[in-house]
Amino acid sequence: MANILEMNQLRKRYLDKIILDGFTAQITRPEIISLLGKSGQGKSTLLRILCRLEAQDEGETILHGHSYLTVDPKEWRKKICYVSQQSYMLPGSVEDNLRTVSQLHKTPFDMQLARELMISLNLDYLDWGKKSIDLSGGEKQRVALVRTLLLKPEILLLDEVTASLDMQSKHAVEKVLQDWQEQEGATFIWITHDIEQAQRMSHRVWFIEEGSLLEDSDGREFFENPSTVSARNYLQRVPQEESSCLI
Amino acid sequence: MSYIALSFTLIFVMITMLVSMWQKLDLEKDIAIGTIRSAVQLLLVGYVLMFVFKSNHPVFILVIISVMITVAAWSAGKRGKGLSGIRWRIALSIGCTEVLMMGLLLGLHIIEATPQYIIPISGMTIGNAMVVSGLFLNHMKREVESNQGEIETLLCLGASARQAIQDSLKRSVKSSMIPTIDGMKTVGLVQLPGMMTGMIVAGADPVEAVRYQILIVFAFTASAAMTSIILSLVSYRLWFTKDLRLAPL
Repeated sequence: MANILEMNQLRKRYLDKIILDGFTAQITRPEIISLLGKSGQGKSTLLRILCRLEAQDEGETILHGHSYLTVDPKEWRKKICYVSQQSYMLPGSVEDNLRTVSQLHKTPFDMQLARELMISLNLDYLDWGKKSIDLSGGEKQRVALVRTLLLKPEILLLDEVTASLDMQSKHAVEKVLQDWQEQEGATFIWITHDIEQAQRMSHRVWFIEEGSLLEDSDGREFFENPSTVSARNYLQRVPQEESSCLI
Repeated sequence: MSYIALSFTLIFVMITMLVSMWQKLDLEKDIAIGTIRSAVQLLLVGYVLMFVFKSNHPVFILVIISVMITVAAWSAGKRGKGLSGIRWRIALSIGCTEVLMMGLLLGLHIIEATPQYIIPISGMTIGNAMVVSGLFLNHMKREVESNQGEIETLLCLGASARQAIQDSLKRSVKSSMIPTIDGMKTVGLVQLPGMMTGMIVAGADPVEAVRYQILIVFAFTASAAMTSIILSLVSYRLWFTKDLRLAPL
């Protein structure tokens, strides 16, 4: 049986800087993968390449045995969807944003699912007629997530989507995504700098350094006993860096 | 106007150059080149038009209009640097506008089918279409730069190129037409337009001059709308790569 997604020898360079250096990995079953690593190691670039917002210089991505070269980008993005750290609201109201997918693809709007997701993400108080531009950062982030989930992508690429959320909202997002993953059998590739969150959520961890996949481990195994010095240093350093940021 | 009288108009150029020298604006060379070019170009055009008006042959009219469209497309195309094939798309948009405009003006017998009418009116509408094309491209560049996140969000949700850039296109079409519409609102109040002034100076009845000016104002508005919309439709794909990413400009 073909892998869900394969990344073969992905390389990307901006001017003189190597961003991805032969990144290779496979996803064989639906799971939550945390993509960890220091800033500037190519994590966001990898996600943007996977949803084809950027092109790799070399290498190939293969979805269910089909090379990216043979799949229409629109169809590809319906299956592999990217949610960026900075959530962009489209012009109009909250409801206009929630209806985007049904309008783009001329499919019925799943009102019930939208309502359920909004409630689960603690957004039940939100007036759907409110202008999207007037939402707070955290509200925008969660509405953007609901908007994407309504597309029901097979693989969801999440780029620090809880970074601007308070603890309560962060846990609500985690719960929704865990339930979604179990019910829909989706795969998440999740960039986070929150190690505790990665521990709570990950079935698997990809640790990336200088554009290469240094570790591809089971979630528990990675946090208990990372096999590389870089990963061990990273795990020791991140909590200190985070606490210094809070001060 | 005699050539001696015309030569006296160089006094205006000299005043400009003196101001430039006095204020150290360093514009003397540009003013000199501009003066010589505009005089030579206009005199040359005058003789060419005299020949075309006398011959009254449709081929010459077509050649002149084609040259106008080509130069307009070339000039406006500078605003679309980095967009491969933008110049022929501008030429197509202006060409379609010109065909539609002239088709209506001649078909409804609003103007006579003679070079004296066709060439100046075409020149004015093509000139206006050129300005509108340049404005449209400028606005689109700004739109794509400032709304990259919005466009990419739509692409991520499986949108087509047209769906992803539709709002930016609409805003740019609107913005490119605003100067023409504003000009229509204030025409005659703020300034007397060139064509009308020219006709009055040449001895025409002011009311007759105003009638032609109204024709030009309405034609300008229609040509602005048509050019901008056609250009948006034929050029929107250029903002994307073949594999539907935003093209680096």
